[in-house]
Amino acid sequence: MKKIMILSTILVIGFGLTSCGGTSENEFDTSKTITVYTRDTSSGTRAGFMSGIDFKEAAEDNSVLVDGFVTKDNTGILTAMITDEYGIGYISLASLNNTVKGLLFEGVEPNIVNVMNNTYELKRPFNYVLRADGDFDSDEEEQIAKAFIAFIGTIDGADIIADKGAIPLDSTETWDDIKANHSICSGDNSSVTIKFGGSDSIEKIAKALTEAFVPKCGDFVPEHDHTGSSDGFKRTQGSEKDGDSAKHIGFASRPFKDTEQGQDGTQGQLAWDAIVAIVHLNNHLNDVTAEDLKNIFSGTYSKWEDITE
Amino acid sequence: MNSIKHKGDSIILTQKKNKKEIIDSVVRLLFLITTILSASFIILIIIFISIKGIVPFVTDNNGIGRVDIITFLTGRVWLTGTAFQSNLYSVGFIIINTLYIAFLALMISMPIGVLTALFIAKVAPKKIAEFLRTVVELLASIPSIVYGLFGSGVILVFVYNLAEAFNIQSKGGNSVMATVLVLALMTLPTITAISEVSIRSVGKDIELGSLALGATKTQTNFKVILTSAKSGIFASAILGIGRALGEATAVSLVAGNAKSGPSLGIFDITSTLTSTMLEGLKETTGIDYDIRFSVGIILMIVILITNLILNFIKRKVGNVDVK
Repeated sequence: MKKIMILSTILVIGFGLTSCGGTSENEFDTSKTITVYTRDTSSGTRAGFMSGIDFKEAAEDNSVLVDGFVTKDNTGILTAMITDEYGIGYISLASLNNTVKGLLFEGVEPNIVNVMNNTYELKRPFNYVLRADGDFDSDEEEQIAKAFIAFIGTIDGADIIADKGAIPLDSTETWDDIKANHSICSGDNSSVTIKFGGSDSIEKIAKALTEAFVPKCGDFVPEHDHTGSSDGFKRTQGSEKDGDSAKHIGFASRPFKDTEQGQDGTQGQLAWDAIVAIVHLNNHLNDVTAEDLKNIFSGTYSKWEDITE
Repeated sequence: MNSIKHKGDSIILTQKKNKKEIIDSVVRLLFLITTILSASFIILIIIFISIKGIVPFVTDNNGIGRVDIITFLTGRVWLTGTAFQSNLYSVGFIIINTLYIAFLALMISMPIGVLTALFIAKVAPKKIAEFLRTVVELLASIPSIVYGLFGSGVILVFVYNLAEAFNIQSKGGNSVMATVLVLALMTLPTITAISEVSIRSVGKDIELGSLALGATKTQTNFKVILTSAKSGIFASAILGIGRALGEATAVSLVAGNAKSGPSLGIFDITSTLTSTMLEGLKETTGIDYDIRFSVGIILMIVILITNLILNFIKRKVGNVDVK
């Protein structure tokens, strides 16, 4: 019994010492290996980040990434960067706080002002697309859909978008200022169903927007079916616009492609989603370029000293 | 039914007896219905998982192509190629990771759990034992996400610093070791509670007999009581390993979710069948979604085989067998 007691005391003290020893060193050692953190292949943030650093093939393919990367969710990457001195990851700008270091991208500081004035490039647009004029089943549907788009551009809509973590575009009017232009909303629309689809990254924002807008516009019935950005155009003005899954309003969490240019005035942007590369506070790195990040995530740079500012 | 009728024949039938028999059979029917209900859920779940999980192997997955079952079972990379466009999934290394982690976790929690159980059941004074029993029961009822939060907040930091002290650069503490520690913590209360019950139920006569023969208390505890409670202790190991194999939330927060392997070094990142199933489940579609059900089938088979083996060993080891 005595032997066991002594042994266990030694073990406990040993563990205690080792755990203290680690935290006291604060020197950043650039010869250490970079630990890469990423979201999993189904993440919209990952798609946005990878296309932002010109590494599109990594959006849904793990094999082009550096060996031994760690997969975590948004919060997981954020908290990992508090502990892991030699890690690098990316999160949506809305979740950035001062427990980690948000890196400048191409010399531009990641903040809302720089996203809005279009200098911060690591971002993706949230776009909408309506059915073409006159291509609605009824006049009511068309007017409600257009009223909804108008609502997105108001201060009320912007508040909801910001609340869901994205960065809304500038707005000057409230819904009360413009609702006179949308007389359809003063009547009872409870028999009208408006179908929303497209990007699933925008699903939460779209749902929050309709939730707020329904009581303002005669209690119409919103129907959400978000399946991915490419369905946004396809099901409103593209090949599936008359199919069973046709939508009134579609969303895309990327710029519309050349093949997705619809009728003038039916497409537009509702918000920005900005992504920021983050490292531990002790890291000496302050500024990265798209090429640096690509080299880090592809494994060309394996140690911190490989990156020259 | 037959035996009752038979008994009824031999005993004089009265009105009263008949009424009792009816109540008897009604109650029996009630028991049967509840049993069928609870058992059918298991069958329903198995059927549902199997139907969904078999899809990637038998259909061409909307043009992507069938998943090859041999590659699936033996491969060393979770997904080769682009997600949603590739059928090259495999879980071979994840099966090894899962078993390895569960085994290591049990290696830590078994000795600690059994010794704690022995202390609570035989050594500690009554009041302290009562208190400790409540603590253990409380630990067992803590939801796994709480263990996961504790793991990502405390254990990851601890493992990261520990690795640094050995001059090893770990990936933010996400590692086999962190996963094993979290799972050991989680299985500990289960093992302790069940071992404690089995230790307490060891016959007083065996214990007294040992003491009467001149064995000390410690000798009796280790050589007589523990060996007599072997069967129950084994049962606790079976339940413990079940929890270790099946835990998803806590594991996915500390494992690092490696996409290739197997990971045998204790500071390497790893992944388990459950963490692989959970990851991206809410965001993914198509084959990438269906394949998670296939992983579910594999997990059920792994758990079944592990349980059968442990049950076999348990039967071999036997019950009371004092050396």
